[in-house]
Amino acid sequence: MAAIVEIKAVGRDYGSTRAVDDLNLDLRSGELFALLGHNGAGKTTTIKMLVGLLKPQTGTITVDGYDIVESTREAVSLLGYVPDQPYLYDKLSGREFLDFIAGMYGYDSAQAKTLVEREVERFGLGPFVDDLCESYSHGMKQRTVFAAAMLHNPRVLVVDEPMVGLDPQSIRLVKDLLRQEVANGLCVFMSTHTLAAAEEIADRIGVMRKSRLLFTGTVSELRQLHPASDQSLEALYLHLMNSPPEDDSLQATA
Amino acid sequence: MSATPAQSTSLVIRHAVSEEAEAQLFWRMRFRMIRTIVSQLYSSARLRTTLIVALSLLFWSGLFVLFYHAFYFVEHQIGGAGDPYHAQTFKLVFHLFFASLNVMLVFSSGIILYGTLFRSPETKLLLSMPVRDERTTLHKFQEALAYSCWGFFLLASPMMLAYGVVVGAPWYYYAMLLPMIVAFVYIPCSIGAVCCLLLVSKFPKFKLAIVASVAVAAVLLAGRAIWTTVSGPQMDLFGSEWFQQTIHRFRFTQQEWLPSSWLSSGLLEAGRTIDSPTETTGFDLPVVQSSMYLAVLIMNALMGHMLVVKAGKAWLRDAYSAVECAPRQRRRIRLAAIDQLLSASLSWFPKPVRLLLVKDWRLLRRDPVQWSQFLIFFGLLGLYFLNLDRFRSQGSDLSNITWVNMVSFLNLAVVGLILSTFTTRFIFPMISLEGQRFWVLGLLPLPRETILWSKFVFAALGSWLPCALLILASDLMLQIDFLVVAVHQFTCLLLCVGLASIAVGLGAIMPNFRESSPSKIAAGFGGTLNLVLSALYIILIVVCTALPCHFYLIAGRGKFTETFLHPEQWRHWLLYGTIAALVVGFIATVLPLALGLRAFRRMELE
Repeated sequence: MAAIVEIKAVGRDYGSTRAVDDLNLDLRSGELFALLGHNGAGKTTTIKMLVGLLKPQTGTITVDGYDIVESTREAVSLLGYVPDQPYLYDKLSGREFLDFIAGMYGYDSAQAKTLVEREVERFGLGPFVDDLCESYSHGMKQRTVFAAAMLHNPRVLVVDEPMVGLDPQSIRLVKDLLRQEVANGLCVFMSTHTLAAAEEIADRIGVMRKSRLLFTGTVSELRQLHPASDQSLEALYLHLMNSPPEDDSLQATA
Repeated sequence: MSATPAQSTSLVIRHAVSEEAEAQLFWRMRFRMIRTIVSQLYSSARLRTTLIVALSLLFWSGLFVLFYHAFYFVEHQIGGAGDPYHAQTFKLVFHLFFASLNVMLVFSSGIILYGTLFRSPETKLLLSMPVRDERTTLHKFQEALAYSCWGFFLLASPMMLAYGVVVGAPWYYYAMLLPMIVAFVYIPCSIGAVCCLLLVSKFPKFKLAIVASVAVAAVLLAGRAIWTTVSGPQMDLFGSEWFQQTIHRFRFTQQEWLPSSWLSSGLLEAGRTIDSPTETTGFDLPVVQSSMYLAVLIMNALMGHMLVVKAGKAWLRDAYSAVECAPRQRRRIRLAAIDQLLSASLSWFPKPVRLLLVKDWRLLRRDPVQWSQFLIFFGLLGLYFLNLDRFRSQGSDLSNITWVNMVSFLNLAVVGLILSTFTTRFIFPMISLEGQRFWVLGLLPLPRETILWSKFVFAALGSWLPCALLILASDLMLQIDFLVVAVHQFTCLLLCVGLASIAVGLGAIMPNFRESSPSKIAAGFGGTLNLVLSALYIILIVVCTALPCHFYLIAGRGKFTETFLHPEQWRHWLLYGTIAALVVGFIATVLPLALGLRAFRRMELE
């Protein structure tokens, strides 16, 4: 199957610090890809470049063939983005916010109403969707932002730390939703520190360390690369992160 | 994999948003937000809203009266009818005023746009959606425009109206005011916006240096022009030669290419009345001339709008990337000598209080947003006070003494009022903000009261020193009686202690732990109440001390004062006033603190 997202030789600096270095990655429809790494490894920078917030200094990113720099609007309209810090307009209700988002993707008011109702139902926003967003808790905001990101049926969903601040029930909801949408053909690119969640729902994982992608593949493939260690993803991940940089035996793309 | 029906629908509809529909969506969203804000203000913040509207009206009316009398003076007291001084004076005032605002608007709009466009999470949301870059830029530009120009409107509208009333301007003068203001404001603001986008996208490393250099150059030029205007011998001031020199010195404000010149000329033309309309060619009619200036303003505003749109389309994403990826400088903090000095000078306080005081001082010192506002306001006041010596050379008659005393007490009241805005903005929210990190202080082995006491000491001590110095500067420049200096310093102490207590006490009685922004906490009901109570307290204290002192000093100097204003009587009143001020100060200090301490002890923190 052809990749829907192609990241080729992408690099980005923050001043003199290399944030992302020579990143190559293909993502396919119907796949959930989890990107792991320590703080400052380059995960969020990668996500920001993928959704068009930052321009790659080197390399290219395409979404369904659209270059994120040259055809930003076309590429971005195929994406849904859930940032780590959800932003909502304080003085709008959740419904008004979703209505605004639907309008931005070109839906008329009748279509927007149908789509908003669908997302309200799916994310359980009913009890608070007509309240002002300024009164929402972090979890409510996160669910509303998820609804906004899924409203236009994106081809690719980009999620930065989706489980942070959510209660166990909401985490379950998000996990089930992501798996269900992936089964329907959605491509999900998720950055997370929650290794258990990645192990549970990801089809493939990627591990970044100090701006470079050390490993991409399934958890099983990672286990095969290092059979001697404990078999939990946590142990494998820590082993990978703590290995010396020159140890190429672990730096492989399955 | 085949697309689901929903996906197919979405693919057909994508990119169908026209520019007009996009603009309508943003305006609808903005309208909804404004409607919510207005209904919230009406339902839950009536006191604050009423206070803001009333004070704004008062300020506006005061400016109108001031401008009216100034223009009336120029129109009726300087020279005779047809004297060129009239026209020259009005021309100088208009050109100078609008040229200054022209420059300020360029800077303020650029700086505000930088904040709203590159530091706002809303931009992140909009850039990750298929919104046109130019629409995002325009949306934030309009925000910056509103923020930059409300002050201009508040200053310029009473001036323009007063001018129209004084010169008996025809109806079209008033009809043109609003379009002229809007069109004019748009021009410098769009220049500021384009410069901001250009600097951030093309010169990200040098943006701060470039802006600072231009700002410093502008301030130096303006300072030089003002200094050369007012630094001459006082006898020469406001003479005919001085007037001509001043006009010559500020002739650069009347350059034809300046938008401020189009506005000034348009207004002056619109306000002009002609004696014999039959002798005109039509082209030189005031209505035609002013309409032409209005047309020039509107056309240039539209050009500015277009430039902002083009700049946003071309540079927004580059600029956003440049700001986001700017190297973060690590701030290595060392133990500053000033902290050690403060700690040593506070050694007579219990150690927990001293540690809390030094902690609050460090937070203040490392937050330029807070201390820069102190610096600007108190710096401006200081400049004003240091230039007060113009009064003292006017003689020593009763009227002069009355004026000097009045000015000195007004200065005291102004310092108090400005201090009250600072205690409302910075001291009142401290407990609310502390509540959010209460897990640190709450777990320490010290009584809760210590936290509140430390805030009170911090506020009282921190405000007393600059205020006392400012008032002393004012008194020294006015060369007033030693008795008045002593009364002023006593009043200043009462004000600082009382205002600190009101802010700390009310902050503990009415905390807001849900809000993390101190400005929003200060803008709530508690903050507004704090401001109102502080203003009442200042008025009470100043009246109690100023009136008896003033009458005591002028008693016995005039003819009729022997019966009404005998010095002996006023000596008693001076004492009563001091006692009254002490009682009011005591109540204002003890009551809010006691109530605050009780509320703070009972407070349940989440």
